[in-house]
Amino acid sequence: MDRRQFVEICAGAVAALAAGTQPSLADGIQDYPGAKLVDAQGAPLKASELATDQAYLFHYPFNGVPCFLINLGKAGADDGRHARPGGAGTSGRLVSYVAICTHQLSYPNRATSVIRYAAEGSELAGKPGMIVCCAHGSVFDPSAGARKVSGPAEQPLVAVRLQHDPSDDSLSATGIAGSELIGRFFNAYKADLIAQYGPGVYRQSVGDTATAVPLDSYSGVVPRC
Amino acid sequence: MNHDQSRRNFLKLGGAALAAGTVGAAAGATGAAIAGPSGSAAVASGAKASLPKAKGPRLVVVGGGTSGLTIAKYAKREYPKFDVVLVEKRDMYSSCFSSNLWYAGLINLEFLADHSFLDAAKNNDYIYFNATVTGLDRAGRKLITSEGEIDYDFLVLAPGISYDYEKIGVKDPEAVAALRQTYPGGFVSPTEHVSIHRKVREFEGGVFLQTVPSGNYRCLPAPYERACMIASVIKRNKLKGKVLVLDANPEITIKQAGFHAAFDELYKDIIEWRPSSPVTGVDVGKKLVHTEFDAIPFDDAAIYANVRASTLIEKLGLMAPPSKSNQKEANVDTRFYNVAGDLRVYVTGDSRPQPYSKSANTSNTEGHHVARMLAARAQGKEPVWAAPRTICYSMVNAAPMEAISVDAGYDYDAAKDEITGFSKDTRTFEKRDAARGQATLEWARGIYRDMFEA
Repeated sequence: MDRRQFVEICAGAVAALAAGTQPSLADGIQDYPGAKLVDAQGAPLKASELATDQAYLFHYPFNGVPCFLINLGKAGADDGRHARPGGAGTSGRLVSYVAICTHQLSYPNRATSVIRYAAEGSELAGKPGMIVCCAHGSVFDPSAGARKVSGPAEQPLVAVRLQHDPSDDSLSATGIAGSELIGRFFNAYKADLIAQYGPGVYRQSVGDTATAVPLDSYSGVVPRC
Repeated sequence: MNHDQSRRNFLKLGGAALAAGTVGAAAGATGAAIAGPSGSAAVASGAKASLPKAKGPRLVVVGGGTSGLTIAKYAKREYPKFDVVLVEKRDMYSSCFSSNLWYAGLINLEFLADHSFLDAAKNNDYIYFNATVTGLDRAGRKLITSEGEIDYDFLVLAPGISYDYEKIGVKDPEAVAALRQTYPGGFVSPTEHVSIHRKVREFEGGVFLQTVPSGNYRCLPAPYERACMIASVIKRNKLKGKVLVLDANPEITIKQAGFHAAFDELYKDIIEWRPSSPVTGVDVGKKLVHTEFDAIPFDDAAIYANVRASTLIEKLGLMAPPSKSNQKEANVDTRFYNVAGDLRVYVTGDSRPQPYSKSANTSNTEGHHVARMLAARAQGKEPVWAAPRTICYSMVNAAPMEAISVDAGYDYDAAKDEITGFSKDTRTFEKRDAARGQATLEWARGIYRDMFEA
């Protein structure tokens, strides 16, 4: 058993024990009911088949909360020191974060996403493998807990816990690191979210599955900055 | 951007700060009470404003622009014991930043104005008080307003800018009144934006004049951006017309390469840019603008006069001596913004004398820092200085939306107690592209969220 698998199983076990209780896992992640990640046709995503050129976009733990699923690929595995949680998948190279910029709350919607994972590099980041927000130039490192690398953001992106099931190579989201940002996000965009999802729907739980699609196919315009 | 050029420009603009070391030369901390309101004796006679009793140290913030809104919110957040009152004379918000985009139809007025002072105050646990400041008694720590006196423990004045028409040769009050009503600059009040929006929509051809003043005017790239936006409308409507940019400066003041490229490539026969052409007078009736050697006719215009601190700063007796600011700005500490010798009164935003860019992102980031400084001072701790940041987009193409941008920081020289120039990590992005076009809109939305949401 390699270390990564151990961490995954361990986190899963703790999650099971703590189910239904308040937050407070060792990894700082608050539990929410798990949701299996599926593709646009409803088939479970396979961790070993995820593309590395861009992030996948899914919603979790509520219908209105966008999250990135990123296959870091050669960009490197999470070193486990920063990320909460460490990467998942057989290679430990899958990470997930809430796709809301912690600076001034820019997020991907159907029309536009000014925040994206720039696998190939970008003018703003100056190197590959960073999450960049074009609105005010914040750059986050997804291989290191999405800590801020440069720009005005003061907080890292909010981590999402992924759980990998080696038996069928599927992925589930099982928790996020704190809900304060989500509360602010819901307040700031309430009217927009009602328009997009319907009254109250944006704050309902996503249910058993969450559809993950490439960001480029989710948002009409994804500016490269 | 040519580095020497930009540095020279910076130094020129920064002339204001050259003598920033002369702290304490003006009125001291316990200076005599400043004269009260002009012509409103009824409210100067001790009538208190109708406000709830302060539940902690009262921080009064004057001005509901980018600086004041940011400070009111974040001072409360940094030090929850603060009892914060935001005094604003307007009863409806509308931003100056992003207003150029409206002229080209890229946004609507709601984008600028659909933001409530009431919501900002409710969301962030302070009081919005709709009143006009008329006087200040620093010895008695009272702010005098059209709605009564407010006692303060700390006072932040963020009243923005006023125009200095004398500097473009328009001195007679009648001429000033005619000019500001007929050809407003569009950099102070929302009603000017509405006028310019109408002018652009009703322009049928001929010469649309846009002037660029000298000095550290509000939002350096904005007159050039506006020229692009008006030119895009001329292009779209296939008018026989042009935008004449009369620039007091010898070179475009910021993002030179990006603006020159836009002028040459997008608006070759539509924008005429004339450098080193300061305005020396305007004949409103004859539609003539005077420069040193010429009298140039125009059909419509947005005449941007030089900029100074809000006249309120002068009324309250807080002006810097000419040695410290060459364009009538406030006399405050270079790092901590307190009025010279008075740790209870601060001037922030575009009335400040520091040679920072007078722009929304500067005031927003500065506001975060000032909030921390105020929280420190209120708790008897040493404040920590940090430089504001100027992230600024300029839309140069309307169809499709394409923009250029700059991300600038500033250096402080402790020995001289001066802001000496842009920091090393300053970057410009002068190749216009659609990514920056989108980012321009999101940049503004982010700042609205930062000021108005919880």
